[in-house]
Amino acid sequence: MSHTVLVCDDAIFMRTMISDILTQAGYEVVGEAETGAQAVERYKQLQPELVTMDIVMPDMGGIEAVREIMKLDPAAKILMCSAMGQQALVIEAIQAGAKDFVVKPFQPSRVLEAVQRVLG
Amino acid sequence: MDLAQYAELFLAEAREHLAAVNDLLLAWERDPTSREPLGGIFRAVHTIKGMAATMGYTSVADLAHRMENVLDGLRRTEQAPSGETLELLFRTADGLESGVNAAVAGRESAATADLASALERAAAAYQPARRAGQPRAPEAAAEPRPGGAAPGVPVRVTLQPDAALKGPRALVVLARARELGAVEGVHPPPAAFEREDFDGAVSFRLDTQASAEVIEAKLRQAGDVARVSVGAAADLERRAEPGTGARHVRVDLRRLDGLMNLMGELLTAREHLLEVASRQADVALEDVSRRVSQLTTQLQDEILQARMTPVWQVFDRFPRLVRDLARRLGKQVEFVIDGKDIELDRALLDEISDPLVHLLRNAVDHGLEPPEERLAAGKPAMGRVTLAAARERDTVAVRVADDGRGIDRVRVLGAAKARGLIDSEAEISGDEALIRVLARPGFSTAAQVSDVSGRGVGIDVVVTKVRALGGAVELRTARGQGATFTLRLPTSLAIVRALVTRVGEERYAVPLTHVAETVDLDPRRVTTLEGRDALAFHGRLIPLVHLRRVLQIDGEPPAQRPVVVVAVGERYSGLVVDAMLGQQEIMVKPFTPPAGTLPIFTGATILGDGAPVLILDAGGLV
Repeated sequence: MSHTVLVCDDAIFMRTMISDILTQAGYEVVGEAETGAQAVERYKQLQPELVTMDIVMPDMGGIEAVREIMKLDPAAKILMCSAMGQQALVIEAIQAGAKDFVVKPFQPSRVLEAVQRVLG
Repeated sequence: MDLAQYAELFLAEAREHLAAVNDLLLAWERDPTSREPLGGIFRAVHTIKGMAATMGYTSVADLAHRMENVLDGLRRTEQAPSGETLELLFRTADGLESGVNAAVAGRESAATADLASALERAAAAYQPARRAGQPRAPEAAAEPRPGGAAPGVPVRVTLQPDAALKGPRALVVLARARELGAVEGVHPPPAAFEREDFDGAVSFRLDTQASAEVIEAKLRQAGDVARVSVGAAADLERRAEPGTGARHVRVDLRRLDGLMNLMGELLTAREHLLEVASRQADVALEDVSRRVSQLTTQLQDEILQARMTPVWQVFDRFPRLVRDLARRLGKQVEFVIDGKDIELDRALLDEISDPLVHLLRNAVDHGLEPPEERLAAGKPAMGRVTLAAARERDTVAVRVADDGRGIDRVRVLGAAKARGLIDSEAEISGDEALIRVLARPGFSTAAQVSDVSGRGVGIDVVVTKVRALGGAVELRTARGQGATFTLRLPTSLAIVRALVTRVGEERYAVPLTHVAETVDLDPRRVTTLEGRDALAFHGRLIPLVHLRRVLQIDGEPPAQRPVVVVAVGERYSGLVVDAMLGQQEIMVKPFTPPAGTLPIFTGATILGDGAPVLILDAGGLV
């Protein structure tokens, strides 16, 4: 059975790209979210094995969403998607419980490596 | 193992962590609902505890442990700290600092019993029944451990040189490590991961039964890991890391001072060598002396560079100072620091620390008005104090600015007149004149004067200190708009390039830092301004100082005389000397003027021929 993933990003472009990379590698993208609040909601509904989370999103940012999800499920596996120059935010996200991160611009191989690491 | 040799390293590192704790506490106080500062404080205190326990400083370790308990309670209950708790944490940070200092000095720290019991009570207050399934921050895995030797196996992880965002990656590494066991003694401290010079190598102790292979496999899962060393290899590597990027060692300042002194001797010997060589007309000797001269210059540059220290090492202590002061005085202050990365010679930086404390105290205490007075004047209730460093030409300018009431010229004038320090009102018309009055010994130290002037306690002390360092103090103030003190400093203290001049039979050195130009004294361009000789210079009149008169040298001056134009900020003046003998690197020697010496010298030096020479204080002569 393939692993289930929830993709959270406010840009459709990024969501599409991440979904494509994951789908082509055999993962099952079970949902998408474009705000932090949606991400938390969808996580409750879908209970995915992995979440990819953009850091900067409207209506509750990614870091807050990580905190909320970790409260719901301390074993949640969240992979942060960050741009260069967001070092401090990434640090915050990891301290909040995110398991790993990838840096934009994405290289498919890097994204998949990180996903495999997180799913361990 | 002899631990004494690690004491200084412990002290330096503990201080770094304590500085981080203070910073984070300040951030937390600004926003007590924020959770971010907690993790950093916890880790820093935890590291201090581990180090102190290793060194056998049990009272420090114990205090850190108690502080950790309070922090842990705050973390578990997810409560915002009360003002009282924050105050307690601040006091504990102070207690840790004095404890650390005392321990390293071989003393038992002062009784901290009341602190300990206050921490105990606070910890109890934040100790709820633990809810099941309570999510915990990742660092919670590192359970507070009662004092004792740091457990675990040494691990060192080096990230790939091209890894993006090394700081966060290092945190992922630590998170993976915690899946195997408690992590202690992280170096560099996680607070430093965000710094630009973090090179992607992190060492820590991991309390686990897992084999080296399992540890390595686990940590490699963090991604971007180039190498994992476990056990003795990690310890060795930490000491000599063959990685890329800048590597640092801590050097005892006394050793750098020793190097600097030798450098000064070498410069003196070089001047002598060049003199001798020029007299010998020997090509081979000239060649070798030129080569020695070049190498000496390079060596000097390297040594000076090694002594350069970013100002944040001193500035970082000030937010706490300003906060405490503002609290005590009932003022609201926004404190801004700018130019933290500007570098100064270590010795200089140490020396300006006290003057800066003085100026910051003045700014908060006398400069800023109480909130209600500010509101009445149409200003925001919160005052602003800025501490900024900047490179300006060959100098470093350090500014302390406030947006308070400004210095009251009229009252300063009145006070100065009453004390017989000035005779005419003209003397205090500009800011430059104002600082000269404030700088007069005996003016600003008198309490009743400081009360009426609303300012200026100990400005003379500040000016004297800065001048002794070869710098100058400038002032800009406008009523109701605040005051800005600028300390203008040479970047490096001990070796300066100077102009050697002759007056009468003696030679005097003038540091080039303040020399704007040298011109011949042309009697046609000399006029009289307010009863003093003045020289027309680039469209302005600058006062002339006849050093023969100042130094009370009798006899006829030579017909042709040069003028050394010195500039301190916007103030110019011309020093009339008998002759100009050339430029030279001089090593400034600490100087205690004998009684009766004119107050126009900042130090002494030895020239290439072995003759002692006094260094003229440009700031004092302008």
